[in-house]
Amino acid sequence: MIQLYNVCKSYSREGSALEDVNLKIPKGDFVYITGPSGAGKSTLLKLLYVAEKPTRGQILINGQNVTRMGPVKIPYLRRQIGIVFQDFKLISTRTIFENVAFPLEVRGRKRFEISKKVYQMLKNVGLEHKLAKHPLELSGGEQQRVAIARALVMEPLVLLADEPTGNLDPDATLEIMELFKGANARGTTVLLATHDREMIRRFPRRQICLEHGRLIDDLTP
Amino acid sequence: MFGKLIYLLRRALRNIRQSPFLCTASVGTVAVSLCILAFFAIIVLNVQSLTRHWSRDVQVVAYFDTVPAREQRQSLIKQAMVLPGVQSVEFIDAQQAYSSFKERLGDDAILLDGLENDFLPASLRLTLDENSRNRHGVDSVVRRLKKIAAFSDFRYGQDWLDRFESFVTLIRISGVVLGGFLLFATLFIVANTIKLTIYARREELEIMALVGGTPLFIKTPFLLEGALQGALGGTLALGLSWLLFNFFLQQGLEALLLASGVDQVVFLPAIHQGMVVLTGVLLGFLGSLVSLHRLARA
Repeated sequence: MIQLYNVCKSYSREGSALEDVNLKIPKGDFVYITGPSGAGKSTLLKLLYVAEKPTRGQILINGQNVTRMGPVKIPYLRRQIGIVFQDFKLISTRTIFENVAFPLEVRGRKRFEISKKVYQMLKNVGLEHKLAKHPLELSGGEQQRVAIARALVMEPLVLLADEPTGNLDPDATLEIMELFKGANARGTTVLLATHDREMIRRFPRRQICLEHGRLIDDLTP
Repeated sequence: MFGKLIYLLRRALRNIRQSPFLCTASVGTVAVSLCILAFFAIIVLNVQSLTRHWSRDVQVVAYFDTVPAREQRQSLIKQAMVLPGVQSVEFIDAQQAYSSFKERLGDDAILLDGLENDFLPASLRLTLDENSRNRHGVDSVVRRLKKIAAFSDFRYGQDWLDRFESFVTLIRISGVVLGGFLLFATLFIVANTIKLTIYARREELEIMALVGGTPLFIKTPFLLEGALQGALGGTLALGLSWLLFNFFLQQGLEALLLASGVDQVVFLPAIHQGMVVLTGVLLGFLGSLVSLHRLARA
């Protein structure tokens, strides 16, 4: 599903963020990307959702070489990728329902279909009773569940999560992890960047360790 | 396609509803800026009508050596009528010239006592059409008239015409320079106000891009929003300038222009009113476009 060949990313000011990363993630895999702050976890995810392009090397997602992808094709690739952030990135002026409906609107789906899918997705994350509320009326854990619902409503091939539990208490973390496990069980490939060792211990999966931009370990439990 | 446009329009309207303060700021900026521009246009238009009024005095008088016979006179009038730029031709015989001169002298007409009423030369008085009421038009008509041997002299108020031309040029240059400056300032202010409104929504723009929104899908509602705000601002500017015109400007312009011979002071004609609203739409659209472009680059 995801292949990286000799991928390097460097910035003019900060220097090298990733160096010579080679990686293969099969379809349906669940992978943690770990490492201390500044190891290159977020940079790796940014390259995967094409917010940035590598300085060198090739990246293939579902057979498409994203390194050479033009700006016209990028939105269509992103429709196959769900993204979850530590700070949720919800639109505060819109309701929970509207936030989750957004990716479907982007795809030009019919209103009836959108309503049905969004309601089902909010039910899956246990927030169907709060669909008319706005993000700031919810707790951090609830907001992250909305963000996950938004990422999964498109039934993506890949789910990328950048420190999704970084701002959450242990109970909320457990709820979020259950949602990721559920998505993975339905066939979605999950890449989760974290430095939460406790979470990795409780939910052991393949673990890719980065340090100073280099891939130093690839552990399978 | 139509359904998509309706959807994008609905999103633009929702954006406006969700940010009433920012929307009011944009509409207000467009309205105030265009109101100033409309005010300036009203002044220029009315001063132009003054110059048009004055230009009616631009005439060419061609004097005869000897009064031609009736048939020859008709032939000369016909020849003069077909000259480019000539609107009408009138034959003035010696008696008419005398009466007109006497009338112009008023109380001093007594000076003419003892003189025959046919001592003034007969002439043709040529009125020019509006586009030829300038130095070039007059010169062109006179040059052609000179080829007709029947005339001995020509009068067309050369000094007055030069002063009039300078005045019209001054009005035209002032209009272009000040109008251009105002339009540029308006675009600058409107673009910056819209930039603030778009900057406030940068997170929304980022999320749209992350969930796979195409540039067209992301930008169109903002462009429509800018155009709608511009249209609303333009309409408000019209209303505002109409109110200010009726309560303040009309009296001031009347005091200045009616004494100079203008029939009436007028508000912007319908076509100019449409242009004010259209300028608002363009300003809003361009302001949004420039701001989105800058944000995308940042």
